[in-house]
Amino acid sequence: MDIQLYNITKHFGDVTANDGVSLDVRAGEVVALLGENGAGKSTLMKMLFGLYPPDDGAILIDGRETTIESPQKAMSLGIGMVFQQFNLVPALSVLDNLLLAYPKPPFWTFRRLFHTSPRKAVLTYLHELAPGLAPDTLVRDLSVGQRQLLELVKVLNLDAKVLILDEPTSVLPPQEAERLWGLIRKLAEAGRSVVLITHKMQDVMACAHRVVVMRAGRMVQTLTHEQCTESSLVSLMMGDSNQRSAIEVTPREAFANRPPRISIRDLDARHGAQSVEDIRLDIAPGEILGVAGVSGNGQHLLADALVGLTPLARGEVIIDGRVLQSASRTPSTSDRVSYIPEQPAVNAVAADLSLTTNVALSHFRSLRFFPAWTPEEQLTRKIIQRYQVRPDNPALAAGQLSGGNLQKLVVGRELEGDKDLVVAAYPTMGLDAGAAHDIYQALFAKAQEGAAILWISEDLDDLMSYAHRIAVLQGGRVSGIFDPRECDRLDIGRAMTGEHRPASTQQPPEQKPADSHARAVS
Amino acid sequence: MEYFTTELLTLLFAALRSATPVLAVVLGEAMTQRSGVINLGVEGQMLLGAMTGFAVASVTGDPWLGVIAACCAGIALSMVHAILVLGCGANQIASGVAVLILGGGLSAYYGTPFVGDKIDALGNLNHTFVSDIPLLGEFLGPITPTVLITLLAIPAISIFLFRTRTGLRWRSTGESQDITRNLGHNPTYYQLAAIAFGGLMSGFAGAALAVDYTANWVEGMTAGRGLVAVGLVIVARWNPWYALPAALLFGASEALNLKLQSWGVDISPYLLATLPYMIPLSVLMLSYRGLRASGGGMPAGLRVVFQSAR
Repeated sequence: MDIQLYNITKHFGDVTANDGVSLDVRAGEVVALLGENGAGKSTLMKMLFGLYPPDDGAILIDGRETTIESPQKAMSLGIGMVFQQFNLVPALSVLDNLLLAYPKPPFWTFRRLFHTSPRKAVLTYLHELAPGLAPDTLVRDLSVGQRQLLELVKVLNLDAKVLILDEPTSVLPPQEAERLWGLIRKLAEAGRSVVLITHKMQDVMACAHRVVVMRAGRMVQTLTHEQCTESSLVSLMMGDSNQRSAIEVTPREAFANRPPRISIRDLDARHGAQSVEDIRLDIAPGEILGVAGVSGNGQHLLADALVGLTPLARGEVIIDGRVLQSASRTPSTSDRVSYIPEQPAVNAVAADLSLTTNVALSHFRSLRFFPAWTPEEQLTRKIIQRYQVRPDNPALAAGQLSGGNLQKLVVGRELEGDKDLVVAAYPTMGLDAGAAHDIYQALFAKAQEGAAILWISEDLDDLMSYAHRIAVLQGGRVSGIFDPRECDRLDIGRAMTGEHRPASTQQPPEQKPADSHARAVS
Repeated sequence: MEYFTTELLTLLFAALRSATPVLAVVLGEAMTQRSGVINLGVEGQMLLGAMTGFAVASVTGDPWLGVIAACCAGIALSMVHAILVLGCGANQIASGVAVLILGGGLSAYYGTPFVGDKIDALGNLNHTFVSDIPLLGEFLGPITPTVLITLLAIPAISIFLFRTRTGLRWRSTGESQDITRNLGHNPTYYQLAAIAFGGLMSGFAGAALAVDYTANWVEGMTAGRGLVAVGLVIVARWNPWYALPAALLFGASEALNLKLQSWGVDISPYLLATLPYMIPLSVLMLSYRGLRASGGGMPAGLRVVFQSAR
């Protein structure tokens, strides 16, 4: 099946998400749609999947113009999409999840009542793609990679000829990403077409026949696999005029011999089914400690325990020789410890209060009984200006801002003033590259002022370019601590999935010969 | 020895008979909760069912018409809950309590003329085709039709829930409405059906109480059985098979209460009468400790009702 998108345009309010984009996908071909966050890749593919109608332009399938008004229509045409957010019910088994997504025969056939025959049908692809996966395993016991495989099987079960994968490798540890690339190549060889939405060079280099680069809603260029080099793709993605200033990272020797600012000693914490155990980490002043790991391995709980939102079951957190948290004390927050939680728009603002109030609440303790609002408002304006929060009215209720803008506001608020420790969980997730760049700059500038940074991220590339050390969390334990200059992605990947033996002793940051301390965005 | 066996068998039959209304409600409420809706109004639906069933049986003289009318009354009242919760987006707890009080009030008002009436109760199954079944007949003979129907509902419901694809969608609705919607199914439809089924079962339970078990109508005669059933759903872990032992717990403690009273135990009868509520409550508290860690099969959609999201 060949698909042609011709001159597609889509506006959301004032924002032009796609501006005259044309793209064709031929049978048996892997097309990578490359671009930064907000370049319009997902929007384009969601139109092909029938989630929204294009404002202008046409979709041609096998040469005939077709309107795709709903995902059901797209599926009946043989177009399937795997989203970043999985549509799986964790409490049901693999088989049940596959059956849920499988179309039901019409009601007049008796077969409809007993799913013995569809049972065989839905398992064919599962046995082919994942022979080791038992159909009665509960989905909540599966790894992220297996869940993604299951999503893929669901789409194949609907007899999809064209598969759209939205950022499939962003959640996968490196070796599972490699397995997925192999799978994508196999599907293409079998005559299916695959559209891979991605912002990662590795995806493109590994399995794409053709690369379509998008920037700011427009198609920049189409390249065949032979024409691609990483550097040419980067400059196409970013745009030449748009070259950003380098992000400053503190040189290591600046803190090499200083005593640690933060010591986490034998920390255990539990919340519901989640737990972290035996965490031992030291962070020197000015050091950026990256925390990697597949999400749900205790990152959230570790961050909450450090800043005093969850009681510790054991151990203590020492900050400059003073006890900040310990198992024997009620957890407490501090104005000198800042926390950027995941999804700040949900977890870090009160939606009904104004931006000024939201900013003031972060240093609640230092407010007077009758707060003086003028300096608070000035502070809010400063943050709004520095991080380009839109709309820029500090009196607006936080709920009236978009998630991305609130995220910028929260980051600005948390990095304001003197800090000893900054805990940042996925601070740039979902932001476009420009905003992410600004946030990194502000975060790492805080390190240069002497704060210890604990930076939780899923983006291994960013961690490897900016963090001084990377600790990997797996099953609630630190399964390895790496120096990004001396390890490769697969080492970290093995630690993420638990194939690596936990580091028994922990090295303090060592002195290393200086290399370029200012590393450009890549 | 023979005396002991007979005594035990009598106790078991007594337990089964008094457990039947609770069992029917537990089955219905478990199904409703499986779809992600909690209905505290089952007590009110049960009362309305009991009153309607008794009134129809009294007027027409046919207890079976009474049972059917009771089921319809249960469904009708449960639709109030459905409209409030699914249609208006009302809080499920508040709406359930409203239905509970509404059912109590309506049944008291319309039931007054029937207090003290005599009806032909559904007799036991002796001398029917059931008692002619070889082997089984001897055991099934002494029980009444509502007990048999409720017992047969257990395998029927579990086949529906765990073996059919409609049941699968029902369960997935209870786990996550969003995911179910994304898969192209309408969660509201399944929740509506689940609330109606809960209404049917609680109306039937009312009939089992008024037309069969006591053959009598008194205002507020359910005496909290419906609310106990909501608690027993947790003990039964939302599983129709576990509903039987959970309901028997209630039935056995009620039978024990009557037995102890007839033996003249020197405890206040008022205190003894709390036994059927105290025992399930203790079991609920004990089993809840284990449940908290594993989740105990609670449909994830119910979490929104019970606890704030972390």
